[in-house]
Amino acid sequence: MKHLITTAIAGAMVFSASVAQAADDVTLQLKWVTQAQFAGYYVAQENGYYADEDLNVTIKAGGPDVAPTQVIAGGGADVVLDWMPSALAAREKGLDLVNIAQPFKSSGMMLTCRKDAGVNSPADFAGKTLGVWFFGNEYPFLSWMSKLGLATDGSDGGVTVLKQGFNVDPILQGQAACVSTMTYNEYWQIIDAGLTPDELSVFKYEDQGVATLEDGMYVLGENLKDPAFEDKMVRFVRASMKGWKWAEENPEAAALIVLDNDATGAQTEKHQVRMMGEIAKLTAGSNGALDPADYQRTVDSLLGGGSDPVITKQPVGAWTHAITDKALN
Amino acid sequence: MNVFLAALAFWAAAWAVNVWLSRRGNSSAIRLMVPTVFGVTLLLLWEGIVRGYDISAVLLPAPSAIGRQFVSELDILWVDFVQTFVKGALSGYVIGCGAAFLTAVAVDRSPFLQRGLLPVGNFVAALPIIGMAPILVMWFGFDWQSKSAVVVVMVFFPMLVNTVQGLQASDHMQRDLMHTYGASYRQALQKLRLPAAMPFIFNGLKICTTLALIGAIVAEFFGSPIKGMGFRISTEVGRLALDMVWAEIAVAALAGSAFYGSVAMLERSVTFWHPAQRG
Repeated sequence: MKHLITTAIAGAMVFSASVAQAADDVTLQLKWVTQAQFAGYYVAQENGYYADEDLNVTIKAGGPDVAPTQVIAGGGADVVLDWMPSALAAREKGLDLVNIAQPFKSSGMMLTCRKDAGVNSPADFAGKTLGVWFFGNEYPFLSWMSKLGLATDGSDGGVTVLKQGFNVDPILQGQAACVSTMTYNEYWQIIDAGLTPDELSVFKYEDQGVATLEDGMYVLGENLKDPAFEDKMVRFVRASMKGWKWAEENPEAAALIVLDNDATGAQTEKHQVRMMGEIAKLTAGSNGALDPADYQRTVDSLLGGGSDPVITKQPVGAWTHAITDKALN
Repeated sequence: MNVFLAALAFWAAAWAVNVWLSRRGNSSAIRLMVPTVFGVTLLLLWEGIVRGYDISAVLLPAPSAIGRQFVSELDILWVDFVQTFVKGALSGYVIGCGAAFLTAVAVDRSPFLQRGLLPVGNFVAALPIIGMAPILVMWFGFDWQSKSAVVVVMVFFPMLVNTVQGLQASDHMQRDLMHTYGASYRQALQKLRLPAAMPFIFNGLKICTTLALIGAIVAEFFGSPIKGMGFRISTEVGRLALDMVWAEIAVAALAGSAFYGSVAMLERSVTFWHPAQRG
């Protein structure tokens, strides 16, 4: 009798496990480490929106040395989050990345400089050391420098570029006059470290007219030809955008969900709540569908990059509304 | 299938040519040709497979694309070479090996240092470079000085151990002979023990050439100005420009071989008396 009950329980467990595996697997590669910048996806996972769409989503965190384009090229993810300049540059290199959704409407990128390093306006950049991240994050910066006519290879009259890592130490230790910051992350790290807003000159890419589209969802074009994959992505986008809208309305709760998922333990509640508030400003105005006018503005900004443009010709087939049309209507 | 059969046939033919060549004698021309034929075969095979199977350039570029990139980006490659090899690896190598040599002479003189310093050096050598490089970048800044420091830490202990062992290489009879000649410590060191230690010292120097290049390149992954072989390799991988990555790898291979080769040639002239150098 005991043997029969044990077998029945084991059988039920195996049965439920196989039923759970009937959900479709999706691997999402984030653009940076786990933080409120990706709250929509963590919320969708926590609140069961992915499960409602019969999806089993694995969220992979990124970092300063992870290029999402490289991950998807190597088959490490089904869908990646990336900035449009990086995706378009990869597309020109031969990687068929297609934008299927654009949750972020505005750009949060800025260059933060120390006033005591003598930087009060973009005219003061020449001859200074400016920091920027690489691995896909350098394109808006290089495009802006090219537009300003400043060489980035260290030659006279140009700027010296420093490869930034995960933190803002270069500006705190005086190794760089300016560092690249996001409105929602590194700028607050500098404030938390002790510098006051009066001591800093901040140049927002949106104000300088060099903003490009940021976090968007990208997949490989060849996968989109498979109807099963396309259906998976429709459900994924629908659930993710639901997660984003919930996160915009409940910033503190969303920040706590992100903290729960932070495996590194490096994030703090204060920082994440503040970040979620700033991120909500960037996602506001987008329901997930890419606005072709925004796309064209980004492309024109990249093509107009002076002597060293990030892309050299108009991209073809770089985005599609096929997924968002089905997901959001 | 055709591509596979063609590649196999080509490989077999080239192998046959090489075997025939090596049976024709041992002249220096033949000794040069055999590895050249082998290398060229590999390159042609690589090119053929990439073209035949239409492998994406994002995964594996063809040697022709790499060669084209090498030639067109020669100025960038040169700047990277100077930054990493000359400023980082070479300076660290000279400082590290020089310091290790002097320390070895001091260790040889003092049994206290021998019992105390060697175990500590052993511990320092076991510290992983991946852990030390960011710390040294924090201490010495982003530029070549921190890369030089990483190289010093990497080459110090192998060179120290080899030199200490070399200084103990002269045997008892020879040292007694020096003693009977009334040689002072310095004279014995200069005339007997250092020349006898040369094979060991050069062994250490040759090991350290490879360590120096590795150290300089890896240290650049943790913070650098936007030049240098390590920086270029890691960021061009992020930009999916694999042909540039391979061009940098080629530069590193050439630099490393030339470095090792020049130390080996110096060894041949200094230790001409050693059995390994004869014939």
